[in-house]
Formats: sequence, C-alpha cells, structure tokens
Amino acid sequence: MRPCGVFDKSYGLDIAIIRTWQHWVILISALILLYTFPLFGSYYLVSFMNSLAITVIVVLGLQIVSGYCGQISFGQDAFMAIGAYTSAILTIKFGFSFWIALPLSGIMAGIVGIIGGAPSLRIKGMYLAMATIAIHFVVIWLILHMEITGSFKGLYPPPPSLGGFEFDTDERIFYIIMTVMVIMTYAARNLVRSKVGRAFVAIRDNDLAGEVMGVNLYYYKLLAFFISCFYAGIAGSLWGHLITVVNTEQFTLMHALEYVGMLIIGGMGSIPGVFFGVLFIRILNELVMFSSPVLAKALPWLGSSPAAALGLIAFGLALIIFLVFEPRGLAHRWEIFKSSYRLYPFAH
Amino acid sequence: MIEFFQHAITGIMIGSLYALVAAGIVLVYKATHVVSLAHGQLVAFGALFFWLFLGGLGLPFWLSLIPAFVLTALLGLLIERLALRPLIGQPLFAAFLMTFAIFIALEGVFVLYLKGQTRTLPAFLPTGNLAVYGLSIPINQLISFCVAVLLFAAVSLIFKYTKLGLGMRATAEDHRLAQSTGIIVKNIFSYIWILSAIVAAVAGIATANVMDIYYMLPYIGISGLIVAICGGLDSLLGALVVGLLLGFVENVGAAYLDPLVGGGVKDVAAYVVLLIVLLIRPYGLFGLVKIERI
Repeated sequence: MRPCGVFDKSYGLDIAIIRTWQHWVILISALILLYTFPLFGSYYLVSFMNSLAITVIVVLGLQIVSGYCGQISFGQDAFMAIGAYTSAILTIKFGFSFWIALPLSGIMAGIVGIIGGAPSLRIKGMYLAMATIAIHFVVIWLILHMEITGSFKGLYPPPPSLGGFEFDTDERIFYIIMTVMVIMTYAARNLVRSKVGRAFVAIRDNDLAGEVMGVNLYYYKLLAFFISCFYAGIAGSLWGHLITVVNTEQFTLMHALEYVGMLIIGGMGSIPGVFFGVLFIRILNELVMFSSPVLAKALPWLGSSPAAALGLIAFGLALIIFLVFEPRGLAHRWEIFKSSYRLYPFAH
Repeated sequence: MIEFFQHAITGIMIGSLYALVAAGIVLVYKATHVVSLAHGQLVAFGALFFWLFLGGLGLPFWLSLIPAFVLTALLGLLIERLALRPLIGQPLFAAFLMTFAIFIALEGVFVLYLKGQTRTLPAFLPTGNLAVYGLSIPINQLISFCVAVLLFAAVSLIFKYTKLGLGMRATAEDHRLAQSTGIIVKNIFSYIWILSAIVAAVAGIATANVMDIYYMLPYIGISGLIVAICGGLDSLLGALVVGLLLGFVENVGAAYLDPLVGGGVKDVAAYVVLLIVLLIRPYGLFGLVKIERI
C-alpha cells in the first residue's frame, strides 16, 4: 500500500514487507494498541479478541494448504483437536510446562496431518474434500476411544504460567495468544513468498506444469499439510489452555466448514484475506447474536432462542452471495483499493 | 449363524436408505457433473414436508405424498435457479462449494423450524414382522427396500431409454456440444434437479419411516455422498450396491466389533470404508475410470 510516486530503488526495498516509514508508524502503533488493549477493552471484547486470534491462526493454516497449495481440507478442526489434546496430555499427565507443550502439540498435529494428507497424493478437488471429512470423523472417533484422552469426560489443562505468574484470566492469556498470532502471521506472510510458497502456488495452478518445472509434488503437498496442521495444532493448544477444558464436543465438522467459509469470503490465496474472512464471519455472528433476542420478541414464530439457526442462515447466505458476486473474496476488493490508491490522483 | 443373517438383513434394509440418498446425488452428477453436498437437506426437507401434511394436517397417505413431492421439487428448482445457474461456466469446484453454502443455509432453516424438538411420523405403512426361516424382517422396512429397488430401476430406464435421458447424458459429456445439437442445457439442469429432489423426497420419507426427524437428519446426505463416491459418482448401479454394502458393513461391524473396541463402530465405519476406497480406487468401485495424473 504505497501512494503515487514512491518507487523501489533497490532490491532490498523491493522485497521488504514494510515499505515506507508510514508503514512502520502504522505497524508500531497498531502493535501498541493491540498490547494495551486489555487495559481499556471490556472483558467481553478481550475474550472476543482471544477467540478471534485463535481462529485466525487456524484459518492461516488452512489458507496455506487450501488457498496456496489448492488442497481443500475440511479436517482442520480435527487437527485443532489433536493439538488441544496433545497439549493437555503433556501438561497434565507428563508434567511438561506449557511453553514446551505448545510447539510439541503443533508438531504432533503436523505429523498426524501428514498421514491425513496422504490421500492428496492420489486424489484431488472434491474427492480430497470428502476424504478430509472422513479423516475428521475418524480422528474424533479415535480420540473418544482412547484411554489417555479421558474419553467423553475430556481433560482439564491448567492455565499457562511463567516464573510464578499465572496466565489464568482472559486478560492475561491475551498477551500469549496475541504474540503467537503475530509471529504466526509473520511466518505465514514470509513463507508464501519463499521458494516453498511458490512451489505451493505452482501445485495449485497447474500440478502437471509444476511437476515438469521440477516441483516435487509429493514432498510439497505433504509439507503443505504439515504446516497447515502445525498451525491448527498451535491454535488448538492455545484454545485448550484458554478455556481450560478440552472435550470432543468442541470440535465439530460445522467448525471446519466455517473455516472453509471464512477462507472463501476472505479470499483464497491471500494472507490479509484470512483476517478479512475471520472478521467478517465473526462480526456477522455477533450481530446475529445481538439481534436475535429482538427478532424473537418481534416475530414470536421464530421461537425463544433462534440465534444458532439464524447464524447458520446468515453465514450460508453470505457464502452464496460471495460465491456468486465476488468469488475472489474480500481480499480481491482490497487489492483493487490498493492499486487505485497507488494511482491516485491519476485515473490510470 | 442365524444371528449373523439377522444383522445382515437389518443392515441391508438400512443400506437401501443410503442407496436412495446416494441415487439423488448420482443423478445430479450424471447430468451436470456437480457433486451436491446439499442433497441431505433435500432429503430432510422432503421428510419434513411429508410430516407437515401427514402428521401436521392429518391428510391421508396418498394425499400428503403429492404435495410433499411438489414442494421438494420446488426447493430443488429454487436451488438450481438462484444458486447454481449463476455459476454455469465457472470451475466445477465453485459449484461444489456453492452446494456446501446451500447446505449451511438450509441447515439453519431446518434448525429454526424444528426448534430443537423432534418430529415423528405416524405409522403409515403396515407394521409387524415377517418371519422367514427364523429371521424377522420388519414389513415397513421391507416395503421401503422394495421402493428403493424399483426407483433405481425406473431412474435407470429413464436415463437409458427416454429422449430426456439421452439429453442428460449428452449434457454430462459436454455442455457446448450438447447445446449445438439442440439440447437446451439450462432446461436439462432444471429437470435433473427436479428429478433428484423427488428421489430425495422418497429417500426422506423412507428414512423418516425408521427414524425421527431431528436436526441431524440432513447429515444423512454425507452418508449418501460417501456411498455415491465409493460406488463411482456416475454409476446408479454402484450407488445401489455400495449403499446396501455399507448398511451391511455398518451393522455387522457394529455387532461383532463393538465389544472389541468399545462401541461406536457404526459412526465411523462409513468413513473408514470411504478412505480405503479412495486410496485403492479413487474413481469408485463401479465408476468410469478416467486417466488423470495427480
């Protein structure tokens, strides 16, 4: 996002993510705003931000495997479950500290993700989407039928602590979640413009051409699944320690479908698109939540608590509208805005 | 041994429901190459419309059947007109995502209508059990099994021997070629969605005959999709055979494996079968094998 007349004069400037001093100002003030948020934000807003950031991490992972590598996955919530359970088991049963369990749960989810991504070597498109739905149910079933996961009762992971300081409230764990989110966003943004990211895009756009150009399909597809599930695992671990209870009822297929919906609305193949999509769906959900009691009072035939159903309808309709009118998502609009800002005040 | 056959028969009866659900998905795929996730909703709404007239208004069986078919067909037509028609010419995957969006929106409507309650159809088929060689078969399930087989035969005949069926097969092959031979492709799409919705209504009524109408009913569409994929998406015979087979595997597996693994085999058997079939034969057991490198 640069105004008219600013040009890259060196290679370093050309590849920089943050291009001008105005960007630095915006970035630093945004970070300061983010980290001081619990001081002035209400409890409701802080917990909303927490769940928002965790969703952003999950959808970032999905963006890498689906948006960049083109392998649609409906199994993201199951991998989040694996991360949450791994972290809970490591901290409760083996006495690991949260700081070691966090990366380990990401790696564990990633390894299972490689197994889960194995069908992508034989099938693609809709078939792969169905296979990942199957993987979701198989994973949840396995979790329910293992001793160590506490079966139906679930597990109760402790809140993280550092040197005697307990991150036991939403306001305190906020800092951990935001830090992880910022790091993960930065990593994703850099990953997709590296060699690996270009290989992913080659596979998405034309796998045969990519292979001819020397992209190892098997390696990169499995790598995409590993990274995507690593993100999901990290998010799952954070989620478990945030609400300090993990059971299989939190991880449903509907959530996984929601993540794919966020991706479509935000725009496939764009890191800012993840933020647009997550924000759009979450704010839409909150609006429905707030308006549904009013609606229920005005229209008695809706029943006493129509929030969940109305949320689904709003989400579905938003998806339909986006698929018909803007299949490239909000990120595409953002690109259009950026390029017209670049040209302003000239027409073209 | 008699126990095994009893489980097998029960499973095959349930399997005929899966086959019926899968039939609608296969129909849409055969004519348009769109894989419909939304089909489970058509099934659920077919059952709900039937309940509205039979249980809600208290109409006799035959009189409530017709409006249920008409309303479900209208819903199918509406889906095609409003959501899928604008996507003609776009990648097929967009249409798949569109059916997924329709699934979510209609799920909301379904949940909104049910309000967390269940609806049970009054018994409209003769009840009781038929005893054959010591096996007991519920008569109402036997009837829905026969309906399923007859429906498959009818739909296959339509596809094979009528002009409409020929048009549908041509459309599936190539839209532009079909159009240039005088087939109105848009109309074919409407017809196939109506036909598929009616098949869905039959499936919904047969399903509601053996289980309650509740908020999870649309998810039978996922079982139907699994059957359709395992059978090979373009094969009606495959849908029938795999549907019956899946019911058999679920029921027999649950009977003999549940004590070993601690229950829940029924919930996961279909997905394991799907994964195995996708890994061994990605184009299904009866599907047309297309050579495509991945």
